[in-house]
Amino acid sequence: MARFAAGTASLATFVAVASTAVGTVAAHVGTLEGVSTEAPIPQWYVVTVAGVVVGASFLFTSLMADHRTLRWINTRTVRARWPWSGRRAVDALLGAGSVLGLASLVAVGLVGPASANANLASLGIWVAWWGGFTIATYGLGNAWPAVDPFRRLAGLVASLVPSSPRWTYPDRVGAWPAVVGLLALVFAEVVSGATERPGVLAVLVVGYVLVTAAGTVAVGRRAWFATADPLAAVFRTYGSLAPIQRTAEGISLRLPGAALTDGRIYETPGRVAFVVALLWATTFDGLVSTPVWRALLAPVVAVGVPAVVGYVVALLAGFAVFYGVYRWAARRSRETADTCVTADAIARWLAPSLVPIAAGYHLAHFLGYVVSLSPALLAALADPLGAGAAATGPPQVAVLPDWFGFLQLGAVLAGHLLAIWVAHSIAFDLFPGARQPIRSQYPLVGVMVAYTLVSAWVIVSPTIPTPYV
Amino acid sequence: MTSNRPATKSERPGTKREIPVPETTVPDGEELASRCPHCDRPFTSESLRDLHVGEVHDDVAADGECEAYDAALEDERDALFLYQLKVTVVLGLTYSSSALILLFVLG
Repeated sequence: MARFAAGTASLATFVAVASTAVGTVAAHVGTLEGVSTEAPIPQWYVVTVAGVVVGASFLFTSLMADHRTLRWINTRTVRARWPWSGRRAVDALLGAGSVLGLASLVAVGLVGPASANANLASLGIWVAWWGGFTIATYGLGNAWPAVDPFRRLAGLVASLVPSSPRWTYPDRVGAWPAVVGLLALVFAEVVSGATERPGVLAVLVVGYVLVTAAGTVAVGRRAWFATADPLAAVFRTYGSLAPIQRTAEGISLRLPGAALTDGRIYETPGRVAFVVALLWATTFDGLVSTPVWRALLAPVVAVGVPAVVGYVVALLAGFAVFYGVYRWAARRSRETADTCVTADAIARWLAPSLVPIAAGYHLAHFLGYVVSLSPALLAALADPLGAGAAATGPPQVAVLPDWFGFLQLGAVLAGHLLAIWVAHSIAFDLFPGARQPIRSQYPLVGVMVAYTLVSAWVIVSPTIPTPYV
Repeated sequence: MTSNRPATKSERPGTKREIPVPETTVPDGEELASRCPHCDRPFTSESLRDLHVGEVHDDVAADGECEAYDAALEDERDALFLYQLKVTVVLGLTYSSSALILLFVLG
């Protein structure tokens, strides 16, 4: 009976957690802010259990220690050729459509309704694209190169500029511009008011077009979008987790995450840092809406330091900690496994296992946001310039059921469980036997548990509006 | 470094994949136990080398190498059995302690 009572109480916690977490995502759009109540079970217990589940799942996975079985599972593939021959025409159509779509979004952002919940630019970019399209990218496959308007516009600009590209892209720089770009985008999202003010968002989009055009003029479209462009890198990284993968002659269907074990070592400098930045970006997004963040920032603001400085420092310091901890784990892994493989090689080999974690965080933060604001998106689509009554009335929001929080904690955990599996598979490709690959994973699993604790804590924390911005 | 390239996917699904050779260094002043005769990768023990040869180069391995692989695999399985016993105990303890702590925090 006691056990049953415990079960019921833990259900209550999760429901409480659910409403909190829904608050977290909703807070991205100004009018939906809310502070939730305390959970009946201490938050530290929910957070700890999330960490324990990840650690225990590593132990469970380590029981499967046969190279051939692991490879057999990860190489299950169904292949298909491109079903049509007119790919060039489809490509041109998608290109023109995406550029027109972007131009209309910018126009609506500038002249449409002032409320983000009624403006098609805000809803289209945050809900449909950054939420929905990204979920489709790791859930199904990466279609971004086919519909990327920035690639088309940048190519167009570069073709008008004589003697472009001016320089050869330096190999040593690698993906570091994408790391800086991603952190800059997250910073802009959090502090610029781009989530609440459609006009700011439109200006941000135009700015991004200019940056990619300048980059393309400087180093050429192929080099820019293959390594330096942050958005292309985001979708390429998320897409590498997806079951649908592009091949030379068509597409292939894989198990989720299986393509990450193909031995795509992150050789480009900065590629590992980019995956960690992706992971950190979503965590930071949630972190700045917690009361703890407000409590930390308050004394800093009180002594006269601009709040923006606090955000920059937290963004960079948090990234440095996440990245430093991962590099540390790779160095420790060389010792626990007792191997001649360099710490750098271990870091690059195992980095793909961080992709499912990033996707899990993204799903936890954005699924509720996408579902609840879909009616508002449809309303804005029907009336993009806000001529009707819907643009001035309260936003049309779908109310999420109480059990929705299960999905959010579940998404974080599922991401980590898949990460454990991917790391396990890669370790068995990297090291011989069974004990060395298992021992090599100890430090990384420790880091994954730490990441889980941080993100689970962010999810169960009460949600407040982003302070001081 | 030159061998550190992405794996090429095999043509037919389910067939053996080519696995790239990772970058390695041997710590200064340390006596190297062994190297793979096929790809020159260094290992900290002979049994690890034998396991590597059997797993990665089984198509070109000599008879002696196959025997060494079988012997190393046998040792590995014995050690793994012990590890798996420990894991089972730890998993059981983790589950029961989580449940007990939950009862405790609920008072």
